[in-house]
Amino acid sequence: MTALQTFELSKTYRPGAFKRKNILALDKVSLQVEEGEIFGLLGPNGAGKTTFVKVALSMVHPTSGSAIVLGLPLGSVQIRQQSGYLPESHRYPGFLSGFETLMLFGRLSGVPVPLLKTRAGELLERVGLSQWAGMRTKRYSKGMLQRLGLAQALINEPRLLFLDEPTDGVDPIGRKEIRDILLQLKQRGTTIFLNSHLLSEVELLCDRVVILNKGRVLKTGTIAELTAREPVYEIQLASPAPAEVLQELAARTFDVTARDTLLFARVRDVEQLNALVDLLRSRGVAIGSMGLQKTSLEESFISLIQGETAA
Amino acid sequence: MKSLALLLFTINEAIRKGTLLFYAAVATLILLVFALGISSNEANGLITFFGMPIAVQAGKQFDVGQFIIASLHRQSVFWIVVFGVFGAAGLIPSMLEKGTTEIFLSKPLSRTALLLARAAGAAGGIVINILYFSAGIFLVFGLKLGVWQWGLLTAAVALSFTFLCYFSVVTLVGIITRSSGFTVMLALGYTVISWGLEIRQHGLYLLWNNDVYHRVLDALYYLLPQLSAMLTNSSRLVGAVPFANDTSTFSIIPFVWSFGSAALLYAGSVWYFTRQDY
Repeated sequence: MTALQTFELSKTYRPGAFKRKNILALDKVSLQVEEGEIFGLLGPNGAGKTTFVKVALSMVHPTSGSAIVLGLPLGSVQIRQQSGYLPESHRYPGFLSGFETLMLFGRLSGVPVPLLKTRAGELLERVGLSQWAGMRTKRYSKGMLQRLGLAQALINEPRLLFLDEPTDGVDPIGRKEIRDILLQLKQRGTTIFLNSHLLSEVELLCDRVVILNKGRVLKTGTIAELTAREPVYEIQLASPAPAEVLQELAARTFDVTARDTLLFARVRDVEQLNALVDLLRSRGVAIGSMGLQKTSLEESFISLIQGETAA
Repeated sequence: MKSLALLLFTINEAIRKGTLLFYAAVATLILLVFALGISSNEANGLITFFGMPIAVQAGKQFDVGQFIIASLHRQSVFWIVVFGVFGAAGLIPSMLEKGTTEIFLSKPLSRTALLLARAAGAAGGIVINILYFSAGIFLVFGLKLGVWQWGLLTAAVALSFTFLCYFSVVTLVGIITRSSGFTVMLALGYTVISWGLEIRQHGLYLLWNNDVYHRVLDALYYLLPQLSAMLTNSSRLVGAVPFANDTSTFSIIPFVWSFGSAALLYAGSVWYFTRQDY
């Protein structure tokens, strides 16, 4: 089942008193997110990621296009009944404790009070804040507020969760804990929309990713699809390859680049790789190790954005 | 239930931030001063305030008592409302601060319910204080002077209604400007404008002898809540003793007009709030 589908969603902001200047935040964005997926939204600053989430939650009105969220049209209060949101910058009433904050937002989400008390306690435990449940949030650190933010987004046990930079300001151990929570939620069938600058985190968590730039969709796909390219093998030699061997490789149309004791070989298939190894060995070149060079999501992302900027 | 939760949270916020407690503390202090200071002497017919005679009974003890209460009410209503604005005005823009508004808007409440519950909570805290102060004055004078001025309680209801109408201006300004300071300033400016509009025939009319200008002033008078007229009429409900310069009787007309204009301003606030991007 589809959790979220948008049809050529566009948003133009008209800031300023006279609204003369237009800022195109979303440009005909069409996306489909399946239920139970962890879906990553990537893009540089100002790409339209936050606007997209805010449109889905009816905080921002689209200029054109439409969307169906959890089977409901945009603007329906029922969407927010079944979803949770952790904004990028979030402020909680400083005079409330962590527990009171969860009680407040739980009540506003329509969770019955007797159930809410149990759930607030459980969530504080789950995000590692139970020790500070009674402390006023104005005394919380950034990482603690982030954990509390995640707990408030989960207070109504949402089917659809929107997270904007959920691990911002959280230490590495905390980040791992949050990742584990998200993976547990995925196992329970929660659809998660993850908006993060930490591409390594997206790579670890997301089933599919969309890359946005200047409000437009550049690419959508799984991490494997986004990072796929012609295989390049990295061959570690015992000593630098002699010049005549390199010349011979070039003459035999091997696409090889040498850098000190490293050889980067772009090959069509395994047969060609084996032929290359045979040739090196027959010329007395000792091989220390060999492996397929991988493209990280970060490299793919940068190359896509730079390509778009250059175009 | 969700709206009620927000309303109660808003009152809680006003209490925890100290504004409502400050208001209540000032009201309590005034009540204590009167409770301790005012007394009537059956023997010589004097009403004294910390021992100083302030009125002669002259066979009309209760009229004098009524006069004191009515005077006190007339002197204090303006300040009750103005302090109320100081206490409550910041609560509307504070909900619209970046980082706060996103969380509130992500919850399953319509924007109409969100705004009206917030405004009701902000104004409600002040209304509770107005009722507390009025009931306190009623009891102090009843117990100390034997003057059970029921009109004080009727006036408290009228005064609460006045504050709710006044708060429609605060709400609209708060929603548009999203600034607590600006909202308080404009709301206080409105008290002056309201007073100026009420006596426009003897003041603002004289500034420019132009028919269109006069009509604009008239339109503003009827379009905005008639704060000054409502305060005057609230005081008229207190007692039967007329003031030397005010022989008019209570009129409900300013309340009816103000109800209409406040409804319009609240509707305008909702309209604006529902159309904004946050």
